[in-house]
Amino acid sequence: MSMSFVRLISRLLVVCLIGLPFQVSAGMIGTDQAVSAAQAQAARALVGSQISRADVAGQLQSLGLTPQAAKDRVAALTDSEVATLAGQIQSLPAGADGTALVVIILIGVLIWWLVK
Amino acid sequence: MCCLGGCISLPQSDALRENPPRDLPPRVELTQVPFHPQDDFLCGPASLAMVFNAAGISSANVESVTPLVYLPGRQGSLQAEMLGATRRVGLVAYPLAPKLEDVLREIAAGRPVVVLLNLALKLVPVWHYAVIVGYDLEKREVIVRSAKKPRDEWSFGFLEFFWQESGYWSMLALPPGRLPATAREADTAVAVAALEQAGRRTEARESYRALLERWPDNLIGLIGLGNVEYGLKDLPASERAFRRASESHPKSAVAFNNLAHVLAELGRLADAEAAARAAVALEGPTLPEARNTLEAILARRKR
Repeated sequence: MSMSFVRLISRLLVVCLIGLPFQVSAGMIGTDQAVSAAQAQAARALVGSQISRADVAGQLQSLGLTPQAAKDRVAALTDSEVATLAGQIQSLPAGADGTALVVIILIGVLIWWLVK
Repeated sequence: MCCLGGCISLPQSDALRENPPRDLPPRVELTQVPFHPQDDFLCGPASLAMVFNAAGISSANVESVTPLVYLPGRQGSLQAEMLGATRRVGLVAYPLAPKLEDVLREIAAGRPVVVLLNLALKLVPVWHYAVIVGYDLEKREVIVRSAKKPRDEWSFGFLEFFWQESGYWSMLALPPGRLPATAREADTAVAVAALEQAGRRTEARESYRALLERWPDNLIGLIGLGNVEYGLKDLPASERAFRRASESHPKSAVAFNNLAHVLAELGRLADAEAAARAAVALEGPTLPEARNTLEAILARRKR
């Protein structure tokens, strides 16, 4: 195997490793795997969870975030949070507005009075 | 009217009325929690700004928090992102158990609580985050900062009516090294691991230490501490954590693998090989990594 081929492969490997999300270090097993085991989840391929993260980042982008912001925000989520979000971002609760509260309070008081 | 009466059930408020917790102070108000009024759709950032300030990040405000959590396409903030944003500023995000009593306990311990409410109907929800900063057991009320009102009083029933719909969802933002008053072991471990996952190693180290002080054998805590110590370049501390993990959890391949890795880096190759062999022998889903670790150590020993 020629030296230039070896160097090429090494460079490719380095690029692949840099592209991966948070990792302790090559060879060390991340805490997230200990969490998976403790939560009795089946072992997920690293590739599988990465696909979900990329997926969710894409969905966040389509909802108005820049690519970097989407990536940074997904990086702060656990694997199980990412799994919950994937495909459901449009329907999950998104806390927004308390200004409806005034009207709601009036309705609530009415209901309360009826229930009493 | 009877149907309405029958349709509305407020079990937690009823339970608190029948059995008020005797070990809680009768009244607490966290007056020092600042108020951040929300603009349209920004109750998520406003709520987080308040609890971040309370946790010691005095610079947090709606403007600084909005880019961490607000999702323009949904005109609001997702629950998971509320937790993620909390981690990004170096605090532990801890979702509480779905119990009003737990919320009261956290308030009594000095921690404001973010709650998610549905202000409208199940089918046409209007989701809203608010911050509970106090309670009065005798009046059966909570004190709330919400939307444009710095101080509002809601009865337990009123809160429960709008809070039920979110599954009684609530969260704490904790400074590193602090545990919730209602901390449960597994949830605390997962919450600290999530802080580590978000890249906040120094803060995660403090919180892992607190976790382990309370639950010395927690495996996630020991692995997590070992990993963050390693990341923070304290190899002896990392070794100690993984060794503790391997001793209290002799079937943990992760503990042995990571111990082997650290020992190898410390130059203790014979010990490293023994740990790596133990990891491989334990098999399990991390077998490929364990094999790689062993091979790397054997290669070094041959040189």
